[in-house]
Amino acid sequence: MWAPYKKRLTRDLDRWRQNGWVSEEGRAAILADVEMSGREFSLPSALGILASVLFGFAAISFVAAHWEEMPRLARLLLLLATIWAGYSVAGWLMALGHRAFADAAILFSVAMFGASIMLISQMYNISGDPTDGVLMWWIGALFAGILLRSNPALALALVLVCVWSGMQTLERNEVHWPFLIGWAAVSAAFVWQRWHPGLHLSALALSLFVVSLGYLLDNGHQHALVAILGLVAAGAAIAAEKAAPGYEHVAAPILAYAVAIAFAGLYALQFFEDPSLGTLVALAALTLILLLAAISYALSTGNRGVLWLGYIGFSLEILSVYWKTVGSILNTSLFFLVAALLVAGLAYMAFHLAQRGQGREATA
Amino acid sequence: MSSAPRYFWPLLIIVALVQSAALFKLVYDKDRLLKTGHEITMPVKPLDPRDLFRGDYVTLGYDVSTLNTSNTPEGRLAELRMGSAAFVTLTPKADGGWMVKDVAPAFPSPVAPGDIVLKGRVGNAWAQANGSEKTVSVRYGIETYFVPEGTGPVLETQVRDHKIEAIVAVGGDGTAALKGLVVDGERHVDPPLL
Repeated sequence: MWAPYKKRLTRDLDRWRQNGWVSEEGRAAILADVEMSGREFSLPSALGILASVLFGFAAISFVAAHWEEMPRLARLLLLLATIWAGYSVAGWLMALGHRAFADAAILFSVAMFGASIMLISQMYNISGDPTDGVLMWWIGALFAGILLRSNPALALALVLVCVWSGMQTLERNEVHWPFLIGWAAVSAAFVWQRWHPGLHLSALALSLFVVSLGYLLDNGHQHALVAILGLVAAGAAIAAEKAAPGYEHVAAPILAYAVAIAFAGLYALQFFEDPSLGTLVALAALTLILLLAAISYALSTGNRGVLWLGYIGFSLEILSVYWKTVGSILNTSLFFLVAALLVAGLAYMAFHLAQRGQGREATA
Repeated sequence: MSSAPRYFWPLLIIVALVQSAALFKLVYDKDRLLKTGHEITMPVKPLDPRDLFRGDYVTLGYDVSTLNTSNTPEGRLAELRMGSAAFVTLTPKADGGWMVKDVAPAFPSPVAPGDIVLKGRVGNAWAQANGSEKTVSVRYGIETYFVPEGTGPVLETQVRDHKIEAIVAVGGDGTAALKGLVVDGERHVDPPLL
């Protein structure tokens, strides 16, 4: 697990042990459990992934350096050999019980699959549709990720879906709806694997897609739709949190992404759309109120992601309103007065909430 | 966490086989297109030499790369949108070479004997300031020719001083592949792989 959490937990456990709340065996068991569950982020596996990336670069630059001296059939066979070599090493490492290192070897092979697509394209002077190559690559990565249950390969597949979709979007300057097919396929694999970091990656990708709708639909004037989608998703997440308390760990991160989407939409409406002053003031007030609501909700439910998003959004909003209105009708000192009142209100609210929390604890 | 999943080796082999087969299919399709596609030669337009060599490939421009009212007879340019497919029908000119006969967003159903249909993608479409003339740039996937490292400058002077033509293989569905170059009447074509 992450070092700060472990450090804090160790400190707390020592205190609880002294108070007699936790037995010595319990303390040791908790620490061992934390140690175990942190395996997927361990240093060896991170280094293994980095090594596989470096092996990939070494292989590609070796092939590129000897490209001209080699008959073309030999080039093709060499590329295939690197792919097979990677999978063989993966099988060997898995047999030795090194799942993380096997994943790194699988990632190497998937990367070489992509490099092969590009080098074959070059062999045939194909320049027309590089997006087709990326499409083939992400399907190959997804296939390997599902069959071999390899999370890094699935993560690469999702990144490639985003690259593929981004290239299509740039080429056509319109929304690339097939993104949703690729996104859904990789996300389903993440769910099946129960891999939380992957689901965060999925949520991030979908959030970026939703925000991009505002810039692509209707000649880039659909930010209101983005804001509404974000608010609806936020409402749904809060409702889900209330209705199914067992699924807080799912609803809480979704709320964070929804808040980010809604804020991105509202922000674009205010500062990229050039609204009238009245509209701007109304939207700014709405944004600040929603952010304050998000912050207070995050404080009451202990949602750290939403809390930080709220703080960051609040600062960004205040700064942007300042830049937009400086020297205009809204005078600078008045603006700061308003901002100060809002922040003071926030401080009061936070104090109130903290007191209420303490009150609950005392009565419990 | 330490025991290997069941059937890991067979699954590895399946993944490696499928990925190899996909790569082989890529090679096979292109090789077939080069071998069986209808061969046409088109003059390469002189380009700005500064833009010509980016790394180790040559960027080639053709007459059919930019379509406008002056070289496209029928007024179907309006139907082409940025990013959409474009099917360009070429017909032989009396003095050799090819001229644009028609442009359509879908494959034209009756193709006259002797005509060639090229499939491309609209990169950009813009109208002149007065709104009368529309210009459409189309990419066919034959705009890049990779050259051996270090030979760029030689080819660069050849493009400037000599006549260069591109040999293009066109498949039945309009897909085009760059087969090689004709420099001063001398053919430079890579032999097929398979």
